[in-house]
Amino acid sequence: MSAILQTENLVMTYRVGKVDVQALRGVNMSIAPGEFVSIMGPSGCGKSTLLHILGGLLKPTRGTVIVDGEDLAAMTDAARTDLRRRKIGFVFQRFNLFPTLTAEGNLRLAEHIHGNGKRTSNDKTRHEVLKLLRLENKMSHKPLELSGGEQQRVAIARAIINRPAIILADEPTGNLDSENSEIVLNMLQQLNRELKQTIVIITHNPEAAAVAARIIEMRDGVIVKDH
Amino acid sequence: MDSLVISNIRQRPMRTLISVIGVALGVILVALNTGLVEGILNDRLRREQGLGAEIEFSRKSGGVLSPQSIMSVDTRYSDRLKQIPGVAIVTPVGRHVQSGNSGLGFEVVEGIDFNTYSTISGIQIVEGRIFQTEDEVIIDRFKAQQNRLKVGSSIQVFGKNLKVAGIYAPEAGSRTKISLGALQNYLAAPNKCTSLMIKVDDPSKQEEVQKRIDAALPGNVVVLRRDLSFGSVGSVPGIKGFVRAVLALSIVVSSLVILLAMYTTITERTREIGILKSLGASKRYIIAVIEKEAITISFIGVLVGLIVAFIAGWGIEKNTTLQIEFHWSWILTAGLIGLGAGVIGAIYPAIRAANQDPVKALAYE
Ligand SMILES: Nc1ncnc2c1ncn2[C@@H]1O[C@H](COP(=O)(O)OP(=O)(O)OP(=O)(O)O)[C@@H](O)[C@H]1O
Ligand SMILES: [Mg+2]
Repeated sequence: MSAILQTENLVMTYRVGKVDVQALRGVNMSIAPGEFVSIMGPSGCGKSTLLHILGGLLKPTRGTVIVDGEDLAAMTDAARTDLRRRKIGFVFQRFNLFPTLTAEGNLRLAEHIHGNGKRTSNDKTRHEVLKLLRLENKMSHKPLELSGGEQQRVAIARAIINRPAIILADEPTGNLDSENSEIVLNMLQQLNRELKQTIVIITHNPEAAAVAARIIEMRDGVIVKDH
Repeated sequence: MDSLVISNIRQRPMRTLISVIGVALGVILVALNTGLVEGILNDRLRREQGLGAEIEFSRKSGGVLSPQSIMSVDTRYSDRLKQIPGVAIVTPVGRHVQSGNSGLGFEVVEGIDFNTYSTISGIQIVEGRIFQTEDEVIIDRFKAQQNRLKVGSSIQVFGKNLKVAGIYAPEAGSRTKISLGALQNYLAAPNKCTSLMIKVDDPSKQEEVQKRIDAALPGNVVVLRRDLSFGSVGSVPGIKGFVRAVLALSIVVSSLVILLAMYTTITERTREIGILKSLGASKRYIIAVIEKEAITISFIGVLVGLIVAFIAGWGIEKNTTLQIEFHWSWILTAGLIGLGAGVIGAIYPAIRAANQDPVKALAYE
């Protein structure tokens, strides 16, 4: 088994008061290292839920989730947090940078957490990443001093700086205009090509989906198409 | 992480300022109160030691530092003490303790036999004359200056207005003195005193004299005055409870301020806590971030508090009769209380933050 991400009969049920909401109803999928996958589907079909489970932010109700050889469904909260630290990089629609820190500070914080308190920066990776994302001159800026596209590029740099096994991006272009969307998508594609980075992105945008080599379509908590 | 802590502190200057003031107030409370107590007691101790006698003879529960007016020693012991080899001079001292006229602390009035007392202590009248009737007192120069008293002024003792007959120097024992006879009459204790002060022929042999007195007049308390001490401030009865209350109050006030500040902080930064979690920060990491912030704020509060306390102490000494002494152990205590309050106050907010659900925290507006 060479998959880096694999789910079997993945079920997620949210309990809202006395009502059960079935967000995932048995998701089976397998993603190989170095793949660029985009997940599409109508609002509420369970895309974010799936991504949160893959990244260990949520504990699934049932089923197995194997991330780089580790079974996530059987883990404690603390173990899933630790797996996230070692293997996952998240990118969000809302950028989620620390507003009080500069771009540099945001990257350092990620490195600090990754190193469990010790900074583990690899200058070569760092240089490579900043060059690829064209951020070299923006490192001393705070998020509010950057454009949306630049903020998202900093967020991508932060997600990738520790070379995680997998990048999970939830609508990374959802808050960007088409020009900036294109820049960000091209950069993700480049990261995938040049660093062999495994990337899974959620998107509503067919153009965004087009940059991915593989598109998974979901509906009502299940995968309906995988091509 | 440290830059996150610093940037968070700078992000909300008003909140930081208020928390710093809160912690500083606690520190000031502890430093000034203990400084005041220490100052009052040490000032007293210095004057007692300036009295010049090496040995004090008294009954149980009537020592020189006792906070009560006890006249339990018969002055006629004086004659028997004088027979003991090595004893040079003996002077009887009666002691009356009344609450301070500023309402703060207490004040001692001594009843003395001026001739023998002045021989031992070297005090001399520098203005006016010694007391001649029962409603006359003498006071030392410090008291005269601080309370703006002159020869002829009146002063409250035993709830009565007595007249200042003279001013003496240097300082020794209490700052207000009346004749022993007068004190005996006021306290209805004829022929009694609180203790007998003994000056020896050769100070280097005071221990031997002490032993001889002990052997000749067993059952009494014979102490060397150089060993006189209040012990630590915290061990003085009455004051102990007061100091403890101050410490408790201070730690409660400071921790509550920090608790409130950090609680608002984590609510305001819910989403940032979610981001930390998405980056893989453990509970311990998040608790550490919040505790570090609280401790940094407390540390600034401690510094500010100590500086203000020192300045205030200086101002109080300059403008009142109160003496303030900052003992390093109390400064340390005040500092530790400030830092401790930071740690304690941040515990609940830190744990709450660490236990937040990451997905919900990330969705927080
Ligand atoms: N915390 C929650 N509690 C209860 N129900 C939830 C919760 N989160 C999501 N859901 C429900 O689960 C289902 C899937 O939600 P999810 O956010 O995964 O959808 P999505 O595909 O990401 O939608 P969108 O494209 O709008 O982001 C929805 O019906 C949603 O209402
Ligand atoms: Mg979603």
